[in-house]
Amino acid sequence: MEEEEQQNRPESCENGREDGEAEEQRQQEESVLQFLDSMDGYLTLLDSLSSTLRQGWIDLASARHSMGVSRVTSVLFDLKLHSASTTLHVAEQADSMGEQPHFVLYKWSSSDSGKCGSGEIEIDKRELQQSSSPQLRHRGASPHSELQKEYPAGSTTSPKAYQVQNERFKLLSVFGTLVSPKLHTAQLSFETALGTLVKIANMRSSMLSAFAQVQKQSQATTKMA
Amino acid sequence: MYGFEALTFNIHGGYLEAVVRGHRSSLLTASDYNNLCQCETLDDIKMHLSATEYGPYLQNEPSPLHTTTIVEKCTLKLVDEYKHMLCQATEPLSTFLEYITYGHMIDNVVLIVTGTLHERDVQELLEKCHPLGMFDSIASLAVAQNMRELYRLVLVDTPLAPYFSECITSEDLDDMNIEIMRNTLYKAYLEDFYKFCKKLGGATAEIMTDLLAFEADKRAVNITINSIGTELTRDDRKKLYSNFGLLYPYGHEELAVCEDVDQVRGALEKYPAYQSIFAKLSYGESQMLDKAFYEEEVKRLCLAFEQQFHYGVFFAYMRLREQEIRNLMWISECVAQNQKSRVHDSVVFIF
Repeated sequence: MEEEEQQNRPESCENGREDGEAEEQRQQEESVLQFLDSMDGYLTLLDSLSSTLRQGWIDLASARHSMGVSRVTSVLFDLKLHSASTTLHVAEQADSMGEQPHFVLYKWSSSDSGKCGSGEIEIDKRELQQSSSPQLRHRGASPHSELQKEYPAGSTTSPKAYQVQNERFKLLSVFGTLVSPKLHTAQLSFETALGTLVKIANMRSSMLSAFAQVQKQSQATTKMA
Repeated sequence: MYGFEALTFNIHGGYLEAVVRGHRSSLLTASDYNNLCQCETLDDIKMHLSATEYGPYLQNEPSPLHTTTIVEKCTLKLVDEYKHMLCQATEPLSTFLEYITYGHMIDNVVLIVTGTLHERDVQELLEKCHPLGMFDSIASLAVAQNMRELYRLVLVDTPLAPYFSECITSEDLDDMNIEIMRNTLYKAYLEDFYKFCKKLGGATAEIMTDLLAFEADKRAVNITINSIGTELTRDDRKKLYSNFGLLYPYGHEELAVCEDVDQVRGALEKYPAYQSIFAKLSYGESQMLDKAFYEEEVKRLCLAFEQQFHYGVFFAYMRLREQEIRNLMWISECVAQNQKSRVHDSVVFIF
């Protein structure tokens, strides 16, 4: 009986060690997968940004072609002091991978109304909740579909959308109040690009954090070996 | 009397008509545009243009070139040709040629006033003004606070003075008032030019009234589309339409209440002259509308050269050159942005 117990003890230790190693390996693989996933997301967003900016620049050129070079020119930019319609906030966000900066874009905040465009903040808060714990992305979801969720076509019926549209028109009024629809399209493209940039910043932050985690685990494994 | 211009036109206008027809033959052709569309860089464009009449204007420009530089230098060529014709012209051709530049004058006035409202430096605004629209006291526009001062201090001594009677208020200048001022001035200018051409009579009246009517209709459509979704009321929108043209007055009634591009299409498709324009576009599309209108305009401008002994050829030439400069600007932008697949979106071939 005692001999059996003595035989079983090394076996259970062996099993425990194997279980520990398997768990460690599983965690390492998960970290690597998270890092690769965030890198894939980062590269996809970079590609999306590039195509959105290209579209924006050609739309701007098209607007200059339509309205005339003297109507769409940087010389008309307003140099008067005014509050920013869009602000970027940086918060430290703690998660399983440690503290990492998180960027939130507050769009169409107006000093006249005294409060931020609530529709846009809700989108950012949703993203904050979703990204509070590191999650694997669903592969195959294109960033364009994410962007379309932010800017659904034809959604001009709600008061928030109406307020946002008014703010957009107000910004373009530096070029005149009767501007070509192409200028509106260009504005939308650059607005989308700005949102994508913030997403890229967040994705980069999580990518670097995941990479640091992978490195840490790899170093720990090397030491034990 | 119409039909007898052949007897007397060449006494005063023959030389300049020959000059402008010579200039017309130097407009870029489809093969020139095909070569330009295949350029990889702006320096390639400069190299291709060096073989044209733009050559002397671009040859001294250092690399790297910018699209605005190409547009500026090509515009300088147009300005030189215009000034040569103006200094050789006698009445009434000289007044006719001056009328052609009032549109640019209005654009320059609005540029200076808007830039001043945005606290920009007057010198940098003056550099961006169109050279054809410059006048002596243009820099003084920066001191005006409202339209009354604008008129009293500066514009009373300019050819735009008669056009201000409809838009003089003591309201401070802001973005909406400036836009209404721009369009009201342009409306008054077009109507005045139209009356002047009618008074000239003959082939000039026949050809110019058609071209100006198209211009007025095009402006009405652009004002309608650009004002959709803005705070411009229907009544204010209707006030900006000119009081002549194919669409006046019933087309204007329909355009004034349009809320989207499809309604604009519905209003214009009743006119056979504009049916062909909208036939090229799909429903809900407005991106290619500009190109469709430019193509129709170029067609009409080219037809002006089919007849002799009238002043319409001068107007047509200036507009065709401006279209050419727009084409060069678009091609340059597509090449600079490495988006040559989009180059045919807005290029309008003249020949």
